[in-house]
Amino acid sequence: MKRAVAAAGPLAPAALLTAIAFVLPLAWLLRLSLDRSSGGGMLVDAVTAANYLRFLGDGFYLGVLWRSTWMAALASALTLLLSYPLALFLARTRSRWRGFLAVLTIAPLLVSSVVRTFGWMVILGDQGWVNGLLRLVSLTAAPLRLMNNMLGVLIGLTEVMMPVMTLALIAGFARLDPTLEEAARSLGAPPRKVLLRVTLPLSMPGVLLGSLVTFVLSISSFVTPKLLGGGRVAVLATSIYEEALETLNWPFAAAISVVLVAVFGVALMLYERAMRRWMI
Amino acid sequence: MRRRRILGPKLVLAALIALSPCLAAPSPAAEPSGDIVLMAYPGAFQDNYVKAVVEPFMKAHPGVKVTYNPGGNSAQMLGLLRAQKANPQVDVAIIDFSVSRVGNKEGIFSKLDRKDVPNLADIYDEARMPGDMGPGITFDNLVMLYGPDQVKPAPTGIKDLLDPKNKGKIGFSPAPNVIGIALQIVVAKAIGVGYKAPIDPVIAELKKIAQNVQTWQATPDNYTMIINGALALGIGWNARAQFYADKSGGKVKSIVMQEGGILDMDTINLVAGSRNPAAALAFIDYALGPEPQKRMAEAMYYGPTNKKAVLPPELMARTSSAPATLAKMIPVDWDYVASVQDQWTERWRREVIPAQ
Repeated sequence: MKRAVAAAGPLAPAALLTAIAFVLPLAWLLRLSLDRSSGGGMLVDAVTAANYLRFLGDGFYLGVLWRSTWMAALASALTLLLSYPLALFLARTRSRWRGFLAVLTIAPLLVSSVVRTFGWMVILGDQGWVNGLLRLVSLTAAPLRLMNNMLGVLIGLTEVMMPVMTLALIAGFARLDPTLEEAARSLGAPPRKVLLRVTLPLSMPGVLLGSLVTFVLSISSFVTPKLLGGGRVAVLATSIYEEALETLNWPFAAAISVVLVAVFGVALMLYERAMRRWMI
Repeated sequence: MRRRRILGPKLVLAALIALSPCLAAPSPAAEPSGDIVLMAYPGAFQDNYVKAVVEPFMKAHPGVKVTYNPGGNSAQMLGLLRAQKANPQVDVAIIDFSVSRVGNKEGIFSKLDRKDVPNLADIYDEARMPGDMGPGITFDNLVMLYGPDQVKPAPTGIKDLLDPKNKGKIGFSPAPNVIGIALQIVVAKAIGVGYKAPIDPVIAELKKIAQNVQTWQATPDNYTMIINGALALGIGWNARAQFYADKSGGKVKSIVMQEGGILDMDTINLVAGSRNPAAALAFIDYALGPEPQKRMAEAMYYGPTNKKAVLPPELMARTSSAPATLAKMIPVDWDYVASVQDQWTERWRREVIPAQ
């Protein structure tokens, strides 16, 4: 008992901060989601599940939820695919450029995702570099639609998330004992088998952590779907923005936010279960 | 019984204390003094409004200090005002009339009395809000934007948005943005039905326009995208179009569509519970006066809402207050639009925006 109290002491500031910055706003959000909004955005005090019923009873909003989920899942998968070799190389290389390369990989985190998304607009637009190049070699007559649709959002999200995923994977590789791979090789396993049977399973904690973080960041990302989606990619975050700042229906915006938090909860649960499976 | 007797004198005292500021309030004729906070848009609006209105006001009323608080867009400002409703930190707010309408109904703003705000008498009827609430200080109107190098001959109206020649070159904000809502009203007129009629044929027409749209989210905005050639046509607001036309050397131009335009305005509002209503009202009256309105027209092409503001004819012609422009505006029952806006927006989200 005494020990528990002693342990609670140092935790108090963090607990207080969490209460003020996280629990209280969330409680307020929950309360707001039970209010009503009359036509034109007037806020009406109420206790009603109408906002949730509207979300769950409407194919359009269920579609938004579904689209957000698969977009985030696909972005995580693409990010993993591209980051895994990169992280493996950075974890293994003995080059004297290693530190520099690691900084280079993580450097995009220093630039806001808004700026990076703008960069992609320059590259992917109808008059962007990619279409300019295709035109130059006369491959296409009309510009390819590389943005203002889901394709553009996925390209942008994947790049924005890569540094985060790479960091998580490098941390995972650090715990991987290279002698295990050597053992597999010395017993005659071909490189492909070493990767699939030894390296990959042992790096699963890093893979899972990276995937969880990318999934959560992708499903809640606003800037990339908004700017690269051309207004056509309706996801949870853009719907919350529209309801809160354009139709002024705050209670409905709050209800969608609560749904988003619930999705986080499910993702976290799946992560915990997968971790238990791989940590044994 | 006993309880009531004890409470009685306390209640009287409380009422007296509550009333005392009113009893002590200076008559409108007295020179206002003290601090007030003005909340309005950030950016170019702030720069110009401080120069054209706030600073000259403080010169005219040396006892009053006005702090300009850039609150973001209209909806964000309404959000801040809602959060402070019990204890307002803002005295005067300038926001779009579609949003101030909501604030008026929620009791966030107070009605204005002509006794306190004599300039109200000279305001155009179009600028008045129901119930003598904060009126318009600047007029603006819906226009079609185009790049003169890309669209030849110059566009005239809705038919240019439908023209297959402009496929993939159009960008504008869809509903729930006011631009999408306003365009729907113009399209209804173009196909000869009123905007209050069943909207199926209007939505069908908007879906045809949608097939030509490159982006519903022009970034940073469609004026800039037309200037740099990424878009050829758009829908926007007159004042910004005039501003960008000058800035770009005519690479973006604008017309009032032949079907008509929609009048938009920013309103100036007295926040209910303002701590310094006398100074706030003096500021509102000053802002509605002809001289400050003229200066805002010169700086940003916002049309004056005061009939007595006299502009040079060539400047007047470029603002929404030009008689020829005002005559082309489609009268809109905004209370009706507010009541159906959610239904309209749902149709846009489901049918218009995804149309390929």
